[in-house]
Amino acid sequence: MIEIKGLAKSFAYDKKEAKKKKNKVATDPREGDGVFHAVRDVSFSCDKGKVLGLLGPNGAGKTTTLRMLSTALEPTQGEILINGHDVTKEPRYAQKLIGFLSGKTGLYHRLTVRENVEYFGRMHGLSKQVMDERIDKIFSMLDMHTFAGKRADDLSTGMMQRASIARAVIHDPKVLVFDEPTTGLDVISAKTVLDFIESYKETEMSVIFSTHHLHEVERLCDDVCLIDLGETKFFGSTQEFAAQTASGNLYDAFLNNVNKKEEVA
Amino acid sequence: MWLVYKKELLEILRDKKTLIFSILLPTIIFPVLFFGIGKFTQSKTEEAETKELKVAFVNANAFEGLSTLFTAEKHFKKVTIESDDYKAEILEDNVDFIIEIPEGTSLPSNSRKQEVINLYYKGSSKLDNISSKRVKDIIEAYNNTERLALGARFNLSTDNIKAFNKPIAVENQNFASERERMGEFAGPLIAYILIALAVSGAMYPALELGVGEKERGTLETLLLTPMTKGKIVMAKFGVIFTASFFTVIVTLLSYFIWTYIFTMGGKMVGLDFLSNISGLDLLLVAVLLVPLTSIFASIMLSASIYAKNMKEAQAYMSPIFMLGFMPVIVAFVPGMELDVKTAMIPITNVALAMKDLVKGTVDYTMIMVLLGSTVVIAGALLYFTTQFFKKEKVLFRS
Repeated sequence: MIEIKGLAKSFAYDKKEAKKKKNKVATDPREGDGVFHAVRDVSFSCDKGKVLGLLGPNGAGKTTTLRMLSTALEPTQGEILINGHDVTKEPRYAQKLIGFLSGKTGLYHRLTVRENVEYFGRMHGLSKQVMDERIDKIFSMLDMHTFAGKRADDLSTGMMQRASIARAVIHDPKVLVFDEPTTGLDVISAKTVLDFIESYKETEMSVIFSTHHLHEVERLCDDVCLIDLGETKFFGSTQEFAAQTASGNLYDAFLNNVNKKEEVA
Repeated sequence: MWLVYKKELLEILRDKKTLIFSILLPTIIFPVLFFGIGKFTQSKTEEAETKELKVAFVNANAFEGLSTLFTAEKHFKKVTIESDDYKAEILEDNVDFIIEIPEGTSLPSNSRKQEVINLYYKGSSKLDNISSKRVKDIIEAYNNTERLALGARFNLSTDNIKAFNKPIAVENQNFASERERMGEFAGPLIAYILIALAVSGAMYPALELGVGEKERGTLETLLLTPMTKGKIVMAKFGVIFTASFFTVIVTLLSYFIWTYIFTMGGKMVGLDFLSNISGLDLLLVAVLLVPLTSIFASIMLSASIYAKNMKEAQAYMSPIFMLGFMPVIVAFVPGMELDVKTAMIPITNVALAMKDLVKGTVDYTMIMVLLGSTVVIAGALLYFTTQFFKKEKVLFRS
């Protein structure tokens, strides 16, 4: 189970940026004196076997939140617990449990697909036997055996994304963090990612899935957390989220919550 | 850490650009170019030395025997010119040299005064200089004969003539060995080449392993593994250091191999002094390169990690390259010697020590001092790089 409570993250402006901002009237409530509060107050939770959709407009703070969850960034404030363990205090514990994938993460181009996946398996301390079993299982699941020996720079976008998924789950993570994994993908490649996430719904895994595509949320997510201006605007089940508006669709619900931003600003 | 090191090394070795810049260029292309140019220059020099030169004389009878000296020499052809326009005759290639003995000139042994003759030619290149020297050497030989004849007129002995010619002659008794004299020039040059190779060898891997990973989107995934950032950066540093050091060593080895091939085991003219450098001194040159290469590897990795993109990283590399060479140039300044003070100046100290090692005048105590100071600097820079790599604002700078 993942629990995020009152999470905040601020970045200090560099000198050049600070100078630029000094003489300007702040248009974003997150702009502080010499700092930018990218995430101000984000809270949500995700139970085992559930898929949580993380929504929000561009620059809302989704990626920063997911980076904090995956230990790449340290929170300025708040708490991130995985199975009761504080991620900030026990980053190694979290790293063993989390599989991370974003639309921007890449592979080592001069390594083959298998070498790429094996490399990350070794980084997570898998033995050869366990690794071979995992690779066989994942490659079969994602239909990757045909291009396992190909170098990553020879792969199509779809193959690349499947290889990235394999890389992210080689160590059998209990938490999957997907940051806009379908961004820039064609329909077929995006389907591979979505099918994969769906297949994990049956397991004990917690999946946090950030996206701009509401149909993906409708298809996959049990719960939704909408972030805007670095704050949680909504957290609840997908049905509750949709039911916020008369039309009952996610699109209107999204706009309704995001529109509140205008009032805040 | 070894896992990351091995993977990074494998990737670097699979990269054609790295292979070209780190192995192919220094081991094959540069030596072939170097020796090829040498061979070409040598053949052109030989050609100039044996080229048949067309020499014309004006009023040759005034200096009896001068023209005969030319015809007696190989590769000279006496020609006659039809016009008084010497420039046109030479530019139209009818003749290479015109020796004009002005009307009224008589042999110095008769006139008992210095006479002036004119030598017309077109000399612009080094090869032209070789040709004109061949002509001037024959004129000088004629001068010597005439000097003796002139002396005889004044009843001077050969010794008297020598004394007139050069009242005080200096016979050099230089106790500096050939190695010292050549080393003074070649030492800084060798240091310059080795340091240049160390810098260029570090540059490409540094770009690949720092900003290259950022751009490909692999850095973030790497940071999310249980491997500590400290170990990751040490592995990256290790690969850059290996690539840089390997480039230098491979280049040195290839140079010696190619020298052997091109000279078929014989000695290269002008490089004989190198054979006097002991194994210990060569080993010390390699040892000096270790902290030096570490310095460049740390600086370049830091710059590469800091950069937002490849373009920005490349913009940082140029000044690093330039700043890296300033201290080397200082070692070229006459009078710069390795002492306690200069042993503290990074890069300059290594260049000075290399110069002394090549010259064979090294003070091994100073080597220890400089190694100590350079290791401290290299260690400090490496520590800075590891700390730099842990900073969020560096890793996720956008």
